[in-house]
Amino acid sequence: MELNDQTMRSWIKEAKVGEGTYAVVYRGRHAVTGRPVAIKKIKIGQFKDGLDMSAIREVKYLRELQHPNVIELVDVFSAKTNLNLVLEFLDSDLEVVIKDRSHVFLPADIKSWMAMTLRGLEFCHRNWILHRDLKPNNLLIASDGQLKIADFGLARDFADPNPGFKMTWQVITRWYRPPELLFGCRHYSTAVDMWSVGTIFAELMLRVPYMAGDSDLDQIKTIFRALGTPTEEEWPGHTKLPNYVNIGQFPKSPLNLLFTAASSEALDLLAKCFIYEPRRRITAKEGLHHPYFFALPHPTHPSKLPKVAPTTKAKPLQVDDYEDDMQTEIKTTYREKRDKV
Amino acid sequence: MHTPVKDPTGKTTEYRDENDTCPVCKSDRFLNKNLRLLVSPCYHRMCEGCIDRIFTLGPAPCPIPGCGTILRKMQFIHQTFEDLTVEKEVGVRRRIAKEFNKRRQDFQDLRSYNDYLEMVEDITFNLINNIKVRETEELIEKNRRENAALIELNIQRDERDVSSLQEEEARERRDREQRAAELRMMEEEEKFEKEREKQAIIDGLATSNTDADRLVAKTRAEAAKRSQARRRPDISNLLSSSTTTSYNNTRNTFAKDEPHVPFTDDWDDCHDRFSLRLPGDQSPYYDPTTIEVRKDVEGKYRAGGYMLEEVWERALRSAVMALDITPLPEDE
Amino acid sequence: MTVSLNGQASVVKKSLYEGSTQFRHWRFSSTSLAKLRASQNADAVAKIRNAFEDDSPGSSSTIQFLSADEEYLLVKLYISKISQLCAHFRFPEEVEATAVSYLKRFYLRNTVMDYHPKNVMLTAIFLAAKTSNHPIGIEQYVHSIPKTKPADVLDLEFLVAQSLRFEFTVWHAHRALWGIWLDVQTISGFNQATLEDEYGQALERVRASRMTDAELIFTPSQIALACLHSVSPDLAEQWANLKSPNTADAVMETISRIQEIIDTQSGPPDLAMVKDIDRRLKICTNPEKVVGSKAYMAKQAEIEAEAARKRTKKAEGLRANMERDPFADDAPGATLVPTEPQSAALNPTRDHRML
Repeated sequence: MELNDQTMRSWIKEAKVGEGTYAVVYRGRHAVTGRPVAIKKIKIGQFKDGLDMSAIREVKYLRELQHPNVIELVDVFSAKTNLNLVLEFLDSDLEVVIKDRSHVFLPADIKSWMAMTLRGLEFCHRNWILHRDLKPNNLLIASDGQLKIADFGLARDFADPNPGFKMTWQVITRWYRPPELLFGCRHYSTAVDMWSVGTIFAELMLRVPYMAGDSDLDQIKTIFRALGTPTEEEWPGHTKLPNYVNIGQFPKSPLNLLFTAASSEALDLLAKCFIYEPRRRITAKEGLHHPYFFALPHPTHPSKLPKVAPTTKAKPLQVDDYEDDMQTEIKTTYREKRDKV
Repeated sequence: MHTPVKDPTGKTTEYRDENDTCPVCKSDRFLNKNLRLLVSPCYHRMCEGCIDRIFTLGPAPCPIPGCGTILRKMQFIHQTFEDLTVEKEVGVRRRIAKEFNKRRQDFQDLRSYNDYLEMVEDITFNLINNIKVRETEELIEKNRRENAALIELNIQRDERDVSSLQEEEARERRDREQRAAELRMMEEEEKFEKEREKQAIIDGLATSNTDADRLVAKTRAEAAKRSQARRRPDISNLLSSSTTTSYNNTRNTFAKDEPHVPFTDDWDDCHDRFSLRLPGDQSPYYDPTTIEVRKDVEGKYRAGGYMLEEVWERALRSAVMALDITPLPEDE
Repeated sequence: MTVSLNGQASVVKKSLYEGSTQFRHWRFSSTSLAKLRASQNADAVAKIRNAFEDDSPGSSSTIQFLSADEEYLLVKLYISKISQLCAHFRFPEEVEATAVSYLKRFYLRNTVMDYHPKNVMLTAIFLAAKTSNHPIGIEQYVHSIPKTKPADVLDLEFLVAQSLRFEFTVWHAHRALWGIWLDVQTISGFNQATLEDEYGQALERVRASRMTDAELIFTPSQIALACLHSVSPDLAEQWANLKSPNTADAVMETISRIQEIIDTQSGPPDLAMVKDIDRRLKICTNPEKVVGSKAYMAKQAEIEAEAARKRTKKAEGLRANMERDPFADDAPGATLVPTEPQSAALNPTRDHRML
């Protein structure tokens, strides 16, 4: 694969910035333009069924999506046992910004982040893709302040003409997961992502996760305690869902009791993200047209939003990290030798 | 008049000269070994003795003939420069820098930034050379009133820059020390190992019958393995943590907040090229493949939020999209 | 390029299809396809000839390598087998169509003389099932396929993905056809009685088109419309006029080109010819790719040697960097040992890699 090797050589790894069981992430740059990138090296061959589904999903969807609020997959190349995704370099995310209490958020800041999140999400939904893992940690922030949705490892397309086919309900990190998933439903839609957006909105205002349960059951309880137990009218059919349990009756309490600083438009949008019946929950497109965004103050210009530097140390590269580059060199040398007839 | 501004990094030293003489009492180093001349806000020098004598009881006029500025003891600072005019200029510049501290990013274009700088320079020049002092002071006052918030913000930013610089230096120093300590430790261990190795060889030769060379080689190999296992050079300390450099945390005050626009992309999803029927319509689509879903006997599709119209919409969009794209020409 | 609805070409927005990898990277003209296959074949022959020469000089002169057309025929045979296999596993049409696309695209970048389509086909289906959200376990998969071990499928998976440039999303004509069928119902005066029948026939034609190069030249909606047109021309034209009033003529012309391609290329390949090609393939297969052959072993050995050499060189380079540190002194026998990976996981919830 000569095109592949050529691609591999155009990207230079500079330092390791993260490591997990699934992938290693490097900071790097383009050999010629110097463009800063993140190179996510995914080990393949670890799983008995071949290429890992997460890797497939990330590549499949990012390859097709081009939007200012979705992380850009710049290039893909592969080495013997590794798949390398070259992504645009974003070293901050919404989670660290929220946690850093030394930054005060203006209402206009929250509005700006929400707008960017919804734009990116609406684009995914427009392309028939559910993200299914929205949380502050997956909303990355560029140096110019633009917010980008990242991590499509759990994404999946929907609206397939095969309604018989079930989807898994075990997606989205617990605190950001909607009740329909907690109750085990196998047929759902974009409303699941919008619930996550609601919880992120709330977290931006509170500076702590809004509904944080410590088990799936506890999560349901937490949600109902916060928003009231839904009735059959509010959410038809929910008691028939596979994992439904009767948690008890909790009363609805108005949101403005907790979100004291929020404007009435903000609370209205928030409430619409938490409508129990998924069909009636607000969509991303509707959200972008909500009065909240058109009311004053204007959303803060992204370049002026608070930013926090990452706290991870960059590590220098080891022999293993050069593995892929060496493989290319080896193949090239071999090919040159052989073709020298 | 100004209050003396100290150098924040604390790195400059005091100026001293052999021929220093106090202009007030005329004492010099010969008479007074610890003679120390300090500078007043009106840029006149005198020795500590005179300062004590004249100003201990409170404010008093400057003793230099022709000056008479009311001074206090506290206002005297040590001299940094040989030439007092330089001292004055530096003092003025320090003060003005605090009052006018906008940066390039606070301006829309280079031209306005340069105009600003020129204005600041004019003010500085006037103050140094005592030209139109009162007018200039008024300008400064006006600027302070108008830009109070921004000035304050920028002061914080400058202070943060300085302190982060100090932090980094401290960190580097610590890293270096730690590395040195580790290396010293490794050397110790190596020496110890060598000794042990030698001893092992000697013992081995004394007790066993195996070939001397082979024994030596074997012991060496074992020792090497041990030292390799021990050697885990913590290279992470060699590379300074370059990603934790201080971010410019203050906001770029220039960019304007724009009104919200729902969409910022231009991708056409062709939804307007057909009119979508909904399952609940009077005459929906005839679609045998999805009858079960529409019946939804158990209510599970509705409860989960599955929307059949989305399935139809997706198919419809792909039907109308890209219908009129011209295929690539055949002569390519 | 689509034009905004008020008819003026003022705002020219690109359709989402034009942003897809299918449009950007897998779109050709018939001539460029032919050229690509021809040059691909020529390169392959040259390389394999060399491999034969390295193995035993003079051996390549007697070998009759396959031509580009012959390669194509063989691939077509295996395309036709995909449908059968998918039916056996009850994979939905999406998987089947995607697997066909993968197989076609794979052989635009590889030759059958390196990789036999039988195995590539199995891998293509396996991969397509995954990328279409219908993953199947490898054990379950090979269990139903005679004389096949997991390695036969898995070994090629990465190569197939690589040859596809990791561009897994494919837009298919059958979905577009279904959309047309739905939309046509909104045209007043359509005949519902015959519609279902006509849909069935059009769908069969779409399936036939998968044997051809149509998807590499035209868009899914164009192919779908062409298939409907061959079954009910009036309905198709009526619909096309409604959807693309300004460009109806051009659309019709495109459709007739598609018809021609389907008519000429969708027939199954001549079985006798294919058998002959397969037989000759056994002789001209690249020895380097045949596990266990002399050439294969030699190549492996050389790669290993090169790898070892590069490793030590790199390690020395890294050590030299370390030694430039003023505080370090010459430590003989020091070799670098990689530091242990950090325990902090990048993404804590990675367990649920399911549908």
